[in-house]
Amino acid sequence: MRAVALFAALWVAGSACAQTPDPAYEPLARAYDALKARDYDVAIDGFLKAIELAPERASIRKDLAYAYLRIGENELARDQFQAAMRLKPEDTQVALEYAFLCYETKQQAQARRIFDRIRKTGNPIAEKAFHNIDDPLAAGIARWKEAIARGADDFNAHYELATLAEQRDELELAAENYEKAWRIHPDRRTVLVDLGRVWKALNRLEDANAALLAASRGGEPRAAEMARELLPERYPYVAEFQRALDLDPGNVDLRRELAYLLLRLDRQPEAEQQFSIITKTAPDDLLSATQLGFLLFGRGDVNDAMPLFDRVLAGPDEDLANRVRAVLRRPQVLRQRSAEETPVEVDAKIMAERSMKAGYTKDALKYLQIAHEAEPGDFDVMLRMGWAYNILHQDGEAVRWFDLARHSTDEKIAAGALRAWKNLRRSNETLQTTVWAYPLFSTRWHDLFSYAQAKVELRKGPLARIHIHPYLSLRFIGDTRVTVGAVSPQYLSQSSFIVGAGLATVPWRGITGWVEAGSAMSYVTGHVVADYRGGISATRSFGASLTGESSGIFSSINTDGVFVSQFGNDFLLYQQTRLGFSSGPKLLRAQAYWNFNTTVDVQRQGWANFVETGPGIRIHADFMPPSMYLLVDSMRGWYLIHGAYPVAHFTDIRAGIWYAVTR
Amino acid sequence: MRLPGSFFTAFALSTAAAWCAEMPYFSVLSQEQGSWPAILSSIGFEAKPPGMAHIFVARGGAAASSEWQTRVENGAVLILEGESSLAELFGFRRSKDNARVGSLTDVHNPKLPIVWEKALELPVFEIPAEARVFAHDRWSSAPLIAGYRRGAGAVLWVAVPPGERGYERFPYLLAALCDLGVEPPFRTTGVWAFFDSGYRSRVDLDYFAQRWHKAGISALQVAAWHFYDPTEEGDGYLRKLIEACHRAGILVYAWFELPHVSDKFWNDHPEWREKTGVLQDAQLDWRKLMNLTNRDCFRAVSEGVRNLLGRFDWDGANLAELYFESLEGAGNPSRFTPMNDDVRKLFEKEKGFDPVEIFRSRKDAASQRAFLDFRSELAGRIEEEWLGVLESVRASKPDLDLVLTHVDDRFDKNMRDAIGADATQVLPLLDKHSFTFLIEDPATIWNQGPQRYRAIAEAYQPLTTHREKLAIDLNIVDRYQNVYPTKQQTGTELFELVHQAALNFRRTALYVENSLLAPDLGLLPAAAAAVTRIEAIGPTTVVESANGVGLRWKGGALVDGHPWPAMDGDVVWLPAGKHTVAPAVGRLGPQLLFLNAELRTARVSDSGSIEFSYISVSRAIAILDRIPGKIEIDGSPQQPAAEGAALLLPRGQHLVAIRSE
Repeated sequence: MRAVALFAALWVAGSACAQTPDPAYEPLARAYDALKARDYDVAIDGFLKAIELAPERASIRKDLAYAYLRIGENELARDQFQAAMRLKPEDTQVALEYAFLCYETKQQAQARRIFDRIRKTGNPIAEKAFHNIDDPLAAGIARWKEAIARGADDFNAHYELATLAEQRDELELAAENYEKAWRIHPDRRTVLVDLGRVWKALNRLEDANAALLAASRGGEPRAAEMARELLPERYPYVAEFQRALDLDPGNVDLRRELAYLLLRLDRQPEAEQQFSIITKTAPDDLLSATQLGFLLFGRGDVNDAMPLFDRVLAGPDEDLANRVRAVLRRPQVLRQRSAEETPVEVDAKIMAERSMKAGYTKDALKYLQIAHEAEPGDFDVMLRMGWAYNILHQDGEAVRWFDLARHSTDEKIAAGALRAWKNLRRSNETLQTTVWAYPLFSTRWHDLFSYAQAKVELRKGPLARIHIHPYLSLRFIGDTRVTVGAVSPQYLSQSSFIVGAGLATVPWRGITGWVEAGSAMSYVTGHVVADYRGGISATRSFGASLTGESSGIFSSINTDGVFVSQFGNDFLLYQQTRLGFSSGPKLLRAQAYWNFNTTVDVQRQGWANFVETGPGIRIHADFMPPSMYLLVDSMRGWYLIHGAYPVAHFTDIRAGIWYAVTR
Repeated sequence: MRLPGSFFTAFALSTAAAWCAEMPYFSVLSQEQGSWPAILSSIGFEAKPPGMAHIFVARGGAAASSEWQTRVENGAVLILEGESSLAELFGFRRSKDNARVGSLTDVHNPKLPIVWEKALELPVFEIPAEARVFAHDRWSSAPLIAGYRRGAGAVLWVAVPPGERGYERFPYLLAALCDLGVEPPFRTTGVWAFFDSGYRSRVDLDYFAQRWHKAGISALQVAAWHFYDPTEEGDGYLRKLIEACHRAGILVYAWFELPHVSDKFWNDHPEWREKTGVLQDAQLDWRKLMNLTNRDCFRAVSEGVRNLLGRFDWDGANLAELYFESLEGAGNPSRFTPMNDDVRKLFEKEKGFDPVEIFRSRKDAASQRAFLDFRSELAGRIEEEWLGVLESVRASKPDLDLVLTHVDDRFDKNMRDAIGADATQVLPLLDKHSFTFLIEDPATIWNQGPQRYRAIAEAYQPLTTHREKLAIDLNIVDRYQNVYPTKQQTGTELFELVHQAALNFRRTALYVENSLLAPDLGLLPAAAAAVTRIEAIGPTTVVESANGVGLRWKGGALVDGHPWPAMDGDVVWLPAGKHTVAPAVGRLGPQLLFLNAELRTARVSDSGSIEFSYISVSRAIAILDRIPGKIEIDGSPQQPAAEGAALLLPRGQHLVAIRSE
């Protein structure tokens, strides 16, 4: 009884296994029914669904391939036979079908290889098919070799021979003749792609890359597209450009692109060399002539630039010629643009403007670069490039473009560019010197104080890459009275020259950090003491500025935290806040404001903890240097630590001059 | 200067001309029309003022108006070009990204390389969720053509203008439009196609015959050299092909490419092989050329040709490209023919030197000219001789039509010297022989635009009084020139070519059937229709055509006021000239679903009978909706040959009466 139960259980289990439904059954049944009714669309749809459900079943792919054959879709049938062959390599029939269809769909070399492989197993069909392909190829190769030997040393003969040789996998012969054919007709860029493809198959990868890179630039866009498919996805290196130019030295587009690449890499002499070759070998390439002319002109080589400019001026490209005229400060020549010339595609400058307005600065920059390459003398584009780089915080590049644009004959462009260039240049020179001085008279002390500093910053180099500028500094802190108090004289200032070296961070949102080490030399006592100082400074201003042209409310907040070794290694924190109104014509501008100042320190020294407040005024006249102004503050102050200072409060009127200059 | 304001005028006008909404009219809503008229008219649409149009093209910068949404909902088809507030209104908005576009992928033929001659830097557009992308940038996948249906109408957006000629950028623009529900108004059945069985050896011939019929193909020119030598397999295939074609209403011609005869003939007769300028056997590409100047060779080949024409139920014979090689002329001796011994002797006898010396010791222009002139005259004599051979077959096959395919040497003047083709020698033969002179579009001008067909027609018309015998052969193949966006003509370029050809010639042939791409087949019969006018007058449609046309039509029709039997439910077939078509109700008895001939007249004689007359240079094929009870041709009861529902009717002009009893 147990045996019967076990058998029954196994039978049930076995039946269950046997009845496991074929996932592809339903679409396959539909496909075969449709095939019988010659409804091929439905049949193919069914086979495709069945393949999705049973992708490893070669027989479905075979049947799909045969259905494709019935409706003349030989390439699709070929691909299905290929897939079936991969799934079932031992199926000779499938391999033969694949090979035949390769032959019919212009993949003769592949067909020959498959037939060759199968015939070696003793298959007579493959043997015959192989010879049907191979014999005419061999005969053709012999015929074209003979034709060449008889004097037909022309493009056609070499190209035909190369094509047949490639189909017969005689790749060396194919490469040799593709190259010969291409040398005869260098404008047939597809032949260069053929050559690159064969070199690639021969594992001559650098040669292949050179051929394909050359084919991908200039000449036929279709050949360029074919070459692009075979090239690596990354942008080519300079060395690859150079190798491609060795192969195809007459490729002006390739050479021009290399020249621009070199320019972007700041390799101007090499770029000039490439532009120079173009201007000699392709005198009609006015774009290169213009660019080289600008480069030469920009570095003062007017004699060499002028013949290039003359060529452009005499050429048919009026836009380029006008750019040159602009640089040479000659009048522009206008011409009527015909309706046919109206570009239908979106202009790069317009695209740049739209991108800029939309806030897509990187896109704008890309369009501007295109616009610049198209019209290298367009100063408006140069100015926009400057602004775009400036917005992207690439001020080094921005300065270069502002510098170019400030030479525009258009006064508006030139003025804007000059202003920007001046502003940015300072922050982008290798060495930047800043001198400031702040002499002021204090009624409280009846003394004239003076604070000044001369500082030379190194703004380029390895530290600059991490946003730190080393500097050398000479400070002066002194006053005319020097001391107060006869018995125990107290110095009103340090009365010293302080020489130091330091590091400062590049300002970020108005915040700067700095450290400095040096020596303070008292011009009163003659003592020299070590001086270490450092701190963080934050400055923010809002509203109408003193040097601006509009009236309005303004405020400024300066917060400084400073460590000074000479003050007993004290750390002081002081904040100055001004809130007021700016007004007046450009001729004479003034700011009336109210001060709120606070000073505290870590060591709780009496003199270093106080608040003060009071009105003030700053005045700037048009004749003054931009960063000079007069100021008068009337302050009322209170010391914060009771008893730590001789007086509890004070009144002080301060009048001074602020002046700073950076070069 | 664009006139967005005119949109609103259009709305006002449209209400007054509501019936025009169904007419195949389009309007470009801009003074700068661009290439849109060329594109849309290539498949039969006609430019009209906005108030009458059904399809609207709003070019870049078009102003938005919410009224357009209603308009589209109610059936308008709106084509939007590039960036505009109107495009934004329909959901096509510029994004922050850009792409440099130089090649694209189109869903209608995803594997076809479509490359622009000039790449463009374009913004990438965001498209509405319901839109289908028809074409996108190959490398960035940025959408370039997209569209969707809305209500009874549709919106199609293209990223940039389609180009000066209309096909520089988007070959399958019209296919996308049709995917959105637009139907071309006309179709024709008059296209010939060359056919090489080598590419169709394993296909379902009935399936293909129906496909060709739907594509408007009325005759296949079948490569006959594959069947020159009888084989059981080959003969069986050809018989099935001819039967399938006849059932589908398609005529079948034997296409000869003499002096190529057959591979077997080449192998069997090395002594008759043609020679090139370097005295090698003239196997040039696939053609293995024989020396037809040799009398023994001529006799053998002419006997073989007669045998081939007699073995099968051919409707005609086409003698194609019977001159010499190659397009490179004397510049390439390795492809230059003829240089066989017979020709060399003939020439030497006449001119006193061996012509092979023009590549050796006599490279002077005068010697070369002497041989090139001799060669051209020889080609003319050979063509006439072979026309005679084919005409002799008419003794046993009186309905056999003859065609001479001859490359154009009027538009491209280099052809005479390159290959010896000289139309001025051959065209006078039309006075003595009845054949169609099929002008082959020379390879050297395949890169030129569609307007060349008008120029070719104008160049030939003064040369003959038999202008109705002139036809044009378009080579739809990969061109050797640097052409864009596709190597082979497809989509809009093909439709513009075919349309211009149809407007300028009575007959258009396409080389070759297997190169026609699938996305083109649906619109090909529309492009081949040569309609000069379509107009709505109340409920009546007036159509004027040069060669007769099929008008898309649902339901019964009165043509010129009378019940009309020539229609198939989707199309009403109209004779050449001006005709009115109006709706009719009721079943009209037997129907002539299709006629492969020039329809002259048709009428319903009584509830069970129809009559029609036709003219045809070959046999005609008529397909009826039922098996006729009785047939009369020119008043005599006859039982013409039939293939299924297709009747094979005699060549010439005849009146046929069909009775359904």
